[in-house]
Amino acid sequence: METDIKSAAFQKFVEATGSIMNPEVQAWKDQGRGVVGFFCSTVPEELFTAAGLLPFRMRGTGSTSTELSDAYFSPINCSFPRHTFNQALRGEYDFLDGLVCINSCDHVRRIYDNWIRALETPFVQVMSLPRKVGEPQIDWYYDELNILRGQLEEHFGVQLTDQRIGEAIALQNQVRGLQKQLYLLRKADKPPITGAETLAVMVAGTAMPKQRYKDLLRELLGELSEKRGSRDYRARLMILGGELDDPAYLEIIEKQGGLVVTDSSCFGSRLMWRPVDEAEPDPIRALARYYVRDRPSCPRMYGDQPQRIAFTREMAREFRVDGIIGERLLFCDQWVVENYMTDLDLKEDEIPFMALDREYVLSGEGQLRTRVQAFLETLEARGN
Amino acid sequence: MIVGGVDVGSATGKAVVMKDGEIIGSHMVGATTRPQETARLVMEAAIHQAGLSSIDHLDNIICTGYGRLKVPFAEENVSEISCHARGAHWLAPTTRTVVDIGGQDCKVISLSDKGTVLNFAMNDRCAAGTGRFFEAMARALCCGLEGISALENQGEEPCVISNQCSVFAESEVVTLVNEGTELPSIIAGINISVASRLNSMVRRVGLVEDLVLTGGCSKNEGLVRALAAKLDITIEKLPVDPQIAGAVGAALIAAEKAGARG
Repeated sequence: METDIKSAAFQKFVEATGSIMNPEVQAWKDQGRGVVGFFCSTVPEELFTAAGLLPFRMRGTGSTSTELSDAYFSPINCSFPRHTFNQALRGEYDFLDGLVCINSCDHVRRIYDNWIRALETPFVQVMSLPRKVGEPQIDWYYDELNILRGQLEEHFGVQLTDQRIGEAIALQNQVRGLQKQLYLLRKADKPPITGAETLAVMVAGTAMPKQRYKDLLRELLGELSEKRGSRDYRARLMILGGELDDPAYLEIIEKQGGLVVTDSSCFGSRLMWRPVDEAEPDPIRALARYYVRDRPSCPRMYGDQPQRIAFTREMAREFRVDGIIGERLLFCDQWVVENYMTDLDLKEDEIPFMALDREYVLSGEGQLRTRVQAFLETLEARGN
Repeated sequence: MIVGGVDVGSATGKAVVMKDGEIIGSHMVGATTRPQETARLVMEAAIHQAGLSSIDHLDNIICTGYGRLKVPFAEENVSEISCHARGAHWLAPTTRTVVDIGGQDCKVISLSDKGTVLNFAMNDRCAAGTGRFFEAMARALCCGLEGISALENQGEEPCVISNQCSVFAESEVVTLVNEGTELPSIIAGINISVASRLNSMVRRVGLVEDLVLTGGCSKNEGLVRALAAKLDITIEKLPVDPQIAGAVGAALIAAEKAGARG
């Protein structure tokens, strides 16, 4: 990754983002400690932290083929689960002590079924996240979280007390707070960090021990508070979308001259824009409310589109965005309809919007460049 | 002022030379495997047609199209969306929607009354609705692209081609051929199938008349008729070959930029 950020902390983030196993995870394993993989930003990683485990968000980083996983999936399944499962079949996830899957979408939840047939990971669970965002659904997820709590206690031989869970929530909230500080630096006319660099920082947060990550992030923020962005750009962009963990995708956009200053994406602001309520005496209740209702939601949730577009508008205004790019993984039925609604809603605000389809592994760079260039030309023509 | 526009597309290269707001030369060639070579060949031919002896007579050149990053003699490149929009609006000033059907993609561009791009949609990672789609169908019908244009409009009842995926549509066409269906019926069905795809793209962007077609496939009259019927509008032809609209736009942008430089 091309960067003018010099800190060693940032280099560690880039390293963690660019691979699956990284030195921080290896060091953790070498201490004899466990790692639990999980899919989707709605899985409460605080429970793993409370159990003394390292939560690791599942990715297909480094994959170049789906030839092994296509025996289990079809070519019209989303490329994210296909590449990620292919990496698992190649042994890239053999370091996991456990895996928690979730019905975030029908493509991703099928990983559970395939995983338990094909792989030997000792602890594999699947959670059921409700589709609506009301009180009955919070109660449902509260039960799910308590079931997972019991499963973790039993398998890993730990006591998940309220106090431990509360401490894990506090730690994760501190991480969220620092990540938000990083985002707020990007409100500047010349942000000290690009969108691609920010994504590397965010992805790394799901792939290393939390306390270590927090310390490194604080170090990076110290450096960035002194740094003034030098990059010239043609427009300030926001990225809207789901599973995007590859900074190279944003680098292509930024090389065309569109600086990504904020996002609503599930390795981005939706992970951390709001904290979990630490005042709630029952920490499981606090987590259920947070993951079902209080965090910015994604289109898999029913009836919540008005809140989502409100969040998009709020971010676009706060970060003085010139245009929004909606990225969607091919065959994603959640995002295709959402993007159409977003396009119509943003017309009311006169915020230009462009929807882009992509594959999980970066391809079709020429088409991507053409679209981004045309979008930037359109934004410039508006400004003249 | 003399300027040039070159559009290095996936299937063909197009070049236009303009003098003081008038087209004085234009040319088209099939794409080679080297975009810089395609650009050189087509630009030289257009310059020759304009009665000029050398590229040095041009004050500015803008390039566009998929090969736009590889053209050494152009000072800048502009996306084909902006170029088709500019070209179509100059050729037909009442244009508010441009449908460009090229070799490997199709795009729908929405314009303001001044000709600036308001919004656009492109087909993504799919050959449906492109020249490649027609090439695949021509292969299945053993008739060549010219055959597709020549055989349409013979009054036959169109077949239904339900697949928009070029691979599966080709299988469907092969089935029809083997059932003994007449070629004009199949071709009419193919045109309707592509028009369906374009229809939804136009509706996604929002139809505002006048709508014009650019790109090589817009010379397929059966397709134009099928799309006009689906949208329930009249589609007027551009006053020049619609395939050079992008190169015209590039030349216009070249003139504007040279003018701004003074």
